[in-house]
Amino acid sequence: MADEVSTEERPAALRSDIKLTEETFLTDEFLRQLISVGEVDILVGLPTYNNARTVGGVVTAVQEGLLNWFPRERAVILNADGGSRDGTPDLVVSASIDDAQRRSSNRFTLRTLHSISTQYGSGNAPGTAVRTILAASELLRARACAVIAPEATNLQPDCLRTLLGPVYQDQCDLMLPTYARHKFDGLLINNLLYPMTRALYGVRIREPYASEFAFSGRFGDQFLAQNSWGDESARAGCEVRFTLAAITGGLRISQTFQGIKPHVERHAADLVPALRQTIGVLFWSMEANFSLWSGVRESQAVAMNGGKQQFTLEPLRINRKRLLEMFKTGVSELKSVFQGILSSGTLEELKRIAQLEESDFRYPAELWVKTVYEFATAYHKAVISRDHIIQALAPLFRGRAFTFLVENRSSSASEVENHIESLCLEFERLKPYLLEMWNGRE
Amino acid sequence: MPVTQDVLWYKDAVIYQVHVRTFYDSNGDGIGDFAGLEQKIEYLQELGINTIWLMPFFPSPLRDDGYDIADYKSVHSSYGKLEDFRRFLHTAHERGVRVVIEMVLNHTSDQHPWFQQSRSSRENAYRDWYVWNETDTAYKGTRIIFLDTEMSNWAWDPISKAYYWHRFFSHQPDLNYDNPQVLEEMWNVMRFWLDMGVDGFRLDAVPYLVEREGTNCENLPETHAIIKEFRRRLDEQFPGRMLLAEANQWPADLRHYFSDGDEFHMAFHFPLMPRMFMGVKLEDRKPITEILQQTPEIPSSCQWCLFLRNHDELTLEMVTDMERDYMYDVYAGSEKMRLNLGIRRRLAPLLDNDRRCIELMNGMLMSLPGTPILYYGDEIGMGDNVNLGDRNGVRTPMQWSGGWNGGFSAADPESLYAPLILNPVYGYPAINVLSQRRTPHSLLSWMRKIIAVRRSARVFGNGSIEFLYPANHRILAYVRRLENETVLVVNNLSSAAQAVELDLRRFKGNILIEMFGRNIFPRIGDLPYLLTLGPYQFYWFRLRRI
Repeated sequence: MADEVSTEERPAALRSDIKLTEETFLTDEFLRQLISVGEVDILVGLPTYNNARTVGGVVTAVQEGLLNWFPRERAVILNADGGSRDGTPDLVVSASIDDAQRRSSNRFTLRTLHSISTQYGSGNAPGTAVRTILAASELLRARACAVIAPEATNLQPDCLRTLLGPVYQDQCDLMLPTYARHKFDGLLINNLLYPMTRALYGVRIREPYASEFAFSGRFGDQFLAQNSWGDESARAGCEVRFTLAAITGGLRISQTFQGIKPHVERHAADLVPALRQTIGVLFWSMEANFSLWSGVRESQAVAMNGGKQQFTLEPLRINRKRLLEMFKTGVSELKSVFQGILSSGTLEELKRIAQLEESDFRYPAELWVKTVYEFATAYHKAVISRDHIIQALAPLFRGRAFTFLVENRSSSASEVENHIESLCLEFERLKPYLLEMWNGRE
Repeated sequence: MPVTQDVLWYKDAVIYQVHVRTFYDSNGDGIGDFAGLEQKIEYLQELGINTIWLMPFFPSPLRDDGYDIADYKSVHSSYGKLEDFRRFLHTAHERGVRVVIEMVLNHTSDQHPWFQQSRSSRENAYRDWYVWNETDTAYKGTRIIFLDTEMSNWAWDPISKAYYWHRFFSHQPDLNYDNPQVLEEMWNVMRFWLDMGVDGFRLDAVPYLVEREGTNCENLPETHAIIKEFRRRLDEQFPGRMLLAEANQWPADLRHYFSDGDEFHMAFHFPLMPRMFMGVKLEDRKPITEILQQTPEIPSSCQWCLFLRNHDELTLEMVTDMERDYMYDVYAGSEKMRLNLGIRRRLAPLLDNDRRCIELMNGMLMSLPGTPILYYGDEIGMGDNVNLGDRNGVRTPMQWSGGWNGGFSAADPESLYAPLILNPVYGYPAINVLSQRRTPHSLLSWMRKIIAVRRSARVFGNGSIEFLYPANHRILAYVRRLENETVLVVNNLSSAAQAVELDLRRFKGNILIEMFGRNIFPRIGDLPYLLTLGPYQFYWFRLRRI
């Protein structure tokens, strides 16, 4: 019978439709909500997981921002939730624009402002949340999107203007934030991610791992299509992948000052996942983009709106002693692992400084940069499991962090900035060393 | 079919607004007249309307298109004689069409004999018929309406060497209703026309009748008292006649003009109109539902008058600054299209001549609570001429055919009161009654159909409204109910196809009957009722439990 055509005999287009249907990760209920929202100009995504304590204020700020800066535009607030048990999605959906309008007297949106929510799974998986936001953005043909962290307790309505405005006006494809951070906040970014991204790709992006950012719908669609979403490792570090995709794709990137970034307490156990999501992604990107980064000799500033990265100096408690202990323990216990990763010179130097008393301990910038570059090379060569390589970097990073804390204990904000700049220059200066290792060592 | 005796006739009316000058010229002088209008009543009857609203036809210097009246009890010589009006009125009534005329209570022309007398000397008996002052400083809290042309509400009269008050053009002095003689004389004027048989008055500029220091001189209690007095006399002496208020105000302020059913029978819903245009451009029901939510209940004998376009600019007084900016941006890209606080364009050009959108707007006009008013020519999609001054661009001759002068007049084209529309899109060779009459799917044929369907269901003119709020904000859906009659209206405000799920569970068991094709749609069950609508499509469903 004519109707009974085997799958193999069906036209390619039809087979592709079937594949898409099988792979869909959006629920019918979510699709129903998207149908109701329809095409939008602006989409604001809130990835959440048990954020009931803070998300209400964030939604209010977003609503007021839309009210003040995008009253004519078709807009939706989209909550991608990891299965919160504290009522987070309800708080997002029930936040009334009427209240925001009352606060912003004389301001109101011309259109309906939708707030919708979907659960993408069970558990916190920011990558999946971003994927959901990107998929919704594509389906709704959003012109500009922002992702806002649900714990951004000091979020100001104006952030919508500064983040989204230039993207919406097609002045850039990716808008990343800069912050006023405590000088000891963002250690991973300041000691590793920022300097290395800058040395590799030649762009001075202060927050490559941003929790608030905005992007054009066009770029979002491109990233959604290109990124491999199949496994968790690909979804992890999605934010850094996003930044790197914009850099390597030659897209227009800008930065905008977003005010004070509240310090979020991290548990020691958070470091390895954070390394996977940042430096792991950066190492991964080096594989695919060798021809690009190997030719970069120096770095360029990226357009900045509203002020540079700043540092605040109020007291912040960090257990330095514990950092040093974990460094020393790591060097001692992972000696055999390091032998496969590091050059003998670097390893010997690490062993030497691991013997130093706390008062004498320093992890010099040059040694730190060489360490990182040798890890990158080992990752490239896959001398051992790549995930083990990333894990092995954790204790060494703690040693470097200890040094950063000690060196900057009495530093002013500008002195901290100078120290970070020196480190960046060291990463740039030693880039030939990276290339030599990358190309030569077996 | 003569007009019926129903005293609430205006609630079921479909009104056609026309200026006699623009409609049909019977004597070849280039200006429409009452004899011509009488000849075209058959056309209007065929269209399905049952009420004509005539713009001012009185003797006038015509500096404000007849709203500057120089004689209230006669007909401008260009339009014929009083006898011609009587014949027209009789023919209209014979064909079941009522006639509502304009009555400008607030002011006269400065050429009116009353004003000429008044300005002639301070001792003249008519002196106190107008509002005079030695200075121009009184009533400072009063806004200026015609911002583009007037600097003040006071004008210096060099003859009488004093200032006189005018809310509109300076050649339109306001009458002084603090003088009881003025009220009496204006009632005499109204009685003159009521005795002749007119069915009602559209009372122009009613909020401004009385001035009081320290106020904005609008909607004052004294003004309401005057209206109440006119209404009392009307009900006593001419039951079944109607008063329609022209008061460009917010719904809450307008509500007072209905009072307890003892002021106006009807009032224009000015704030709704721009929001309908906003709704389709934004593709969002919010502006429409918001303004209707703010619209107060009115007495059961009263009615809102709804309109899309009229002889004036699309007024943007009753919108916020932000909304006005938006409307200018999307509907009046050229400065020429803007006048005062509004947009001087006709319906079809405003909607980019999008037939589906024109139908949608008319569909909402006919199905929202109120009595619809059609502006002449909009039933065939006539265009405008923004190169003509003031609001004359939307007052060009009616386009009857593709022949000489569009079938409007046998005169030389140069002697027409205004040039015909000639461009290839809206010009009379392309847009005219004759060609659309011959085409069953023309806009004119479609308008006849929708008017017939509207008039087939009393619920539209008399029923309650309840909005549904489906998640899809591009869909404006509402239920109209009157006694046992229930109609569901679903409008797609978007230029793209839409799907919508309606919660109709309380109507479970009913089937839907689409009112234009009378086709049956599936029975309502427990699940959300799924509908898909094409671009700008709308449905009217009658609910039937069978």
